[in-house]
Amino acid sequence: MAGIWVFAENREHTLELLNAGKSLAGDLGAKLAAFASSTQLAQEYIAHGADEVLLLAPLAEDQPLESYVPVIADAARTEDPEVFLIAATPRGKEIAARVAARLNTGLCSDCSGFELDKEKKLLKMDRLFFGGLAVQTVMCTARPQMATIPPRTFDPATEQEGRQGTIKELPPAPSSGVQVLQRTPKTREAVDITEAKIVVCVGRGVAKQEDIALAKELAKVLGGEVACSRPIAEELHWLPEEVYLGISGKKVKPDLYVGIGISGQIQHVTGIRDSKVIFAINRDESAPIFEAADYGIVGDLYKVVPQLIEEFKSALKQ
Amino acid sequence: MLKVITCFKWVIDEADVKVDASSRRLILDRVGYKISLYDRNAIEEAALLQEKHGASIVAVTVAPPTAKQCLKDALSRGADKACFVNDPSLVDLEPTQTAALLAAAIKGQGDFDLILCGEGSSDLYTQQVGPILAEKLGIPCGTYVNKLTVIEGEKRVIAERKLDDCVEIVSIQLPALVTVLPDINTPRIPTLKQVLAAGKKPVDNITLDKLESPSEPGLETTSILGATMERRRLKFGAEAENIRAAVGALLKEGVIT
Ligand SMILES: Cc1cc2nc3c(=O)[nH]c(=O)nc-3n(C[C@H](O)[C@H](O)[C@H](O)COP(=O)(O)OP(=O)(O)OC[C@H]3O[C@@H](n4cnc5c(N)ncnc54)[C@H](O)[C@@H]3O)c2cc1C
Ligand SMILES: Nc1ncnc2c1ncn2[C@@H]1O[C@H](COP(=O)(O)O)[C@@H](O)[C@H]1O
Repeated sequence: MAGIWVFAENREHTLELLNAGKSLAGDLGAKLAAFASSTQLAQEYIAHGADEVLLLAPLAEDQPLESYVPVIADAARTEDPEVFLIAATPRGKEIAARVAARLNTGLCSDCSGFELDKEKKLLKMDRLFFGGLAVQTVMCTARPQMATIPPRTFDPATEQEGRQGTIKELPPAPSSGVQVLQRTPKTREAVDITEAKIVVCVGRGVAKQEDIALAKELAKVLGGEVACSRPIAEELHWLPEEVYLGISGKKVKPDLYVGIGISGQIQHVTGIRDSKVIFAINRDESAPIFEAADYGIVGDLYKVVPQLIEEFKSALKQ
Repeated sequence: MLKVITCFKWVIDEADVKVDASSRRLILDRVGYKISLYDRNAIEEAALLQEKHGASIVAVTVAPPTAKQCLKDALSRGADKACFVNDPSLVDLEPTQTAALLAAAIKGQGDFDLILCGEGSSDLYTQQVGPILAEKLGIPCGTYVNKLTVIEGEKRVIAERKLDDCVEIVSIQLPALVTVLPDINTPRIPTLKQVLAAGKKPVDNITLDKLESPSEPGLETTSILGATMERRRLKFGAEAENIRAAVGALLKEGVIT
């Protein structure tokens, strides 16, 4: 029987993919199989919908997760799954690409949704193109049909009573040319920006790190949170990475987005597309952000933002 | 001497692409091209290694012959030589095809120590070509790297990988492939002197007859639909009364409570 396979680096994303794979397994008359790193997780995945679990042998301290690539590819070669979904975390993306290369198949990266063509038994998979300017729909012409799926695209699968499944142990991962010397867990320092109703977003138009105080004050007056563009977080490190918005960052749907010194390039706009109202301040009249905005002020943020703060303060009687 | 290969893609400047609002087709008539944004970081990283360790740099691209001007651009950013894999058919390739051509071209360049790729290309952004290329060449690979140190005399690099839940520091045996994040460095803007010198640097012109024909794509694109967004696009000036008017309009939207 053909299989729908899922792999993710942690429990949470595995459950999401089990949910994504469940209806496919039904439609294709296939078994749903998940990779697990312990028997305890294996049992949990079975309870959450997996018919089969492929149990990965523990890694040595200095082996990166990507060492599983040959093991996963060999298992796929013998078992010949129909569909293989992998969570699009950085590690997941590397693993997926390398497994696809070994299996000589196509991989849809960052698949945002899919539909099954029931006649052809082929997945039509959507992904963003040109930084989000367009949606590209692809079909995989080889087997397995592979996709990486961003975390939280699907809700996690729910637990069901009395489920049974089989567990198959996989051989240990061979050593590779990559050796882990040190791992430092990331500390989550920021708020969950996706929850904010009002987002005040700073871009490179802000000249100095101290000047982010202006955005913070505006956010405070409006009752919102401060976010930023990718370069502010990743190149300048002025704000934590968890708050940069865009195709490779967070996607937000606030009631109000305020962009301060943001040029509005498509990779950024993709992350704010679903905002109810978009408001932007930029001194360049032809900045693309104005095409994406409902309201815009053409002017120097250092003159405009303090005035906005005062205006809102008096209008909101603060 | 350290031999570095850097892979760069010549892409449409996405800022020039328009969407036809009714058909949602992409309008590509008047687009400019550029080196994919994050590939500039890959080239810059090679240039930094050159300064520090005296590395040689070959910049490789797979493109149609019309992309010829990309060579001068890459060469002005620090590469010693460009390797131009070109054919009119080499447009809209899938990542496996691109990686197969790169692998074949790189094999033809002789020994190398390190291949650098960008984290992802500005147009497709599949983040696949690097890891697939590493598999095709059978070499180790380190992705999402924001710090790279070559350990001289030991045939290895130490790389810092920025991952979902941690920062992982790894030692990678050379030859290897590394994909770099944009925060690894700040690419220089080429000086006039560098631009002029670029015209005199060697280019390896590799046409398809010198390589095996590109492999089957593995993926088929069935449609591309432009995204459209309904927005009011009202612009205000920056005088006090304009700002008051903008604030009034925003308050009327009822989104600020
Ligand atoms: C594959 C890929 C993925 C990417 N992913 C993302 C992503 O997820 N998120 C993201 O944000 N970016 C992303 N980018 C980068 C993106 O293309 C842009 O480079 C980035 O969004 C620009 O950030 P910015 O608007 O802050 O800076 P800039 O583009 O430098 O814009 C600064 C703006 O500030 C204005 N300005 C300057 N001074 C003032 C002043 N005093 N007052 C008012 N206005 C002023 C300028 O007119 C300009 O428009 C990605 C790029 C690629 C290639
Ligand atoms: N046509 C190409 N020629 C050379 N290198 C490429 C090409 N396409 C992609 N690459 C490299 O692979 C990386 C990832 O691209 P992608 O998989 O398209 O996101 C890019 O940053 C480049 O370094």
